[in-house]
Amino acid sequence: MDELLLSKVRLGIVAALLASEWTSFGALAETTQTTGGNLGANLAKLVDAGYVEEEKLFVARRPQSRYRLSARGRKAFLEHVAQLQSLVKGAS
Amino acid sequence: MNSSEAREHLEMAERIVAASTRELSLRYAAPFFIAWGLASGTVCLIFQLIERGLVPATATWASGGLLAAAVIFSIVYARRKARCGAGLTFLQREFLNVLWIAMGVAFVSNAGGWNIFPTFGLSAIYTIAASIVLFYIGLHENRRALLGGIVLLASLVVANFMPSVVGYVLAAGFYLGYAGFGVAELMARE
Repeated sequence: MDELLLSKVRLGIVAALLASEWTSFGALAETTQTTGGNLGANLAKLVDAGYVEEEKLFVARRPQSRYRLSARGRKAFLEHVAQLQSLVKGAS
Repeated sequence: MNSSEAREHLEMAERIVAASTRELSLRYAAPFFIAWGLASGTVCLIFQLIERGLVPATATWASGGLLAAAVIFSIVYARRKARCGAGLTFLQREFLNVLWIAMGVAFVSNAGGWNIFPTFGLSAIYTIAASIVLFYIGLHENRRALLGGIVLLASLVVANFMPSVVGYVLAAGFYLGYAGFGVAELMARE
């Protein structure tokens, strides 16, 4: 299993990014129901691992970050989910 | 990780993915529907009033101005939204493609087919295109859009049997079905 995606928060972030082009930090916080600090720390780990791409821009002169899933992150997510499914199937 | 934790993680991921791929949230696009519903409805109204001799034929220019205003509003609003950087889901992107295809086909039919579709037939083309757009949204668990599409199509059928007030009926369809959907979408998400 993917060590990075064993965290429920990080798995939720990747799932939230799966169906979007770019997603803002605020929208991610809302979808994953995570506090700003927790989300930021987990996003940084995903960005460092190359699973998520980050873009910084200015909106109304305020800095804002938006994120999207990389090809590597998508592949890791699909493999991780397949392993979770086989674990659940194996137990039942 | 044990199987119950794995199940919990899977359910959470499925819930998040399903929310962004199943339901087509269009709150961001609601102002487009309101602007174009009002503009299209008013154009129908103006042509009906001209036909009945209630306003002079020069009022045709007002309809051109209204449509131009709707175009300018759409461009300005879309640029402002794009600057926010929030991005779209792939489903929202697909919806926009359906919207542009339907409206583009309607526009070309309108601009190039005035001998085939005389008088209010040209407005009816937009009624059909707009209802296709709303039915597409309706397919993604949005009942307000389904209702809007039904209202638009109903206005077409009713107008067919009321030849003296076709413009009024088509205008009502755009106001209630298209602009009304935009208002309902704004209210539902707040």
